Amino acid sequence: MSKTQIPTGGIADDAISEEHLDATAITGHTALAEAPASTDEFLISDGGTLKRIDSSYIGGTNTPAFHVYLSGDQTIGTGAATKVTFDSEYYDTDSAFASNKFTVPSGEGGTYNFQAIIKTQSVNNNTALQVFLYKNNSELDSQQSRHKDYMSASSSEELHVSFSYTDVASATDYYELYVFHNNGNNRTLKAETSSFWGYKLIT
Amino acid sequence: MAVDNIYYKVKLYLEANSKTKSEFDSNIALQDDGSGSYIKTWSVSGVAKPTDSQLNALSSNATKEYNNSIIRQTRKASYGDIGEQLDEIYKDIDAWKARIKSIKDANPKE
Repeated sequence: MSKTQIPTGGIADDAISEEHLDATAITGHTALAEAPASTDEFLISDGGTLKRIDSSYIGGTNTPAFHVYLSGDQTIGTGAATKVTFDSEYYDTDSAFASNKFTVPSGEGGTYNFQAIIKTQSVNNNTALQVFLYKNNSELDSQQSRHKDYMSASSSEELHVSFSYTDVASATDYYELYVFHNNGNNRTLKAETSSFWGYKLIT
Repeated sequence: MAVDNIYYKVKLYLEANSKTKSEFDSNIALQDDGSGSYIKTWSVSGVAKPTDSQLNALSSNATKEYNNSIIRQTRKASYGDIGEQLDEIYKDIDAWKARIKSIKDANPKE
């Protein structure tokens, strides 16, 4: 590469443009080869003005996030919406899931997605299995599966309902999962395969 | 206060007051927050929300209804597919009747 003579008195302000930079200005340096620390910086053009920005402002993480499940079967009586007592965690990034509910931590308001899959013994012909997402002790949304193909409920065959809901939450809002069926007698909510998870969206 | 087996107790209470279980569709909500079931909402026209003692007085019959629901479920499973039963009836209705009776006899209601 040929050398360029630097004028006497130095380089004028704003004089280094793209044509004067070679890709080796980047490729010639040592690769970081790992995710940048939150205080590592990038150089960006902010409306035409060069600025530096911490990597913590770029991308972001889907947290708080949690994924909980039942460690043992739970019996659900007929005709009553029953809170699912999730007692085990796959993960809970902010320790925000406690006492069977997820509570939005202070400073973590925003848009959250909640999902669940509930698996039970099958229910009788034309009866329903329904899952409710409660927010602050009130029903927010529900999904149901209604059996019409089975002759009768079975302890060996299973029925499942999956659920997804996106909600704008404020700090201290709390979310719980309830299950309802009108089978006529108890149904068993299956351990491990019944789980509830949620995470904050990057917006 | 939480009331066990609440669905059948409320159903019996409704029937004793000339109402039907259709009230559950929109006028009654039962809930269990982990400490037992209770009546969360009640808006049955002309019938007051039952007290715990009124519901508990129906306990014996509620248990009977619950147990019979299991018997009905067991019977249905044993009866088998309706299409298969129609075939049984077409081929030998008396044999079908005998099989159904044996299922009922083996699973008597309370």
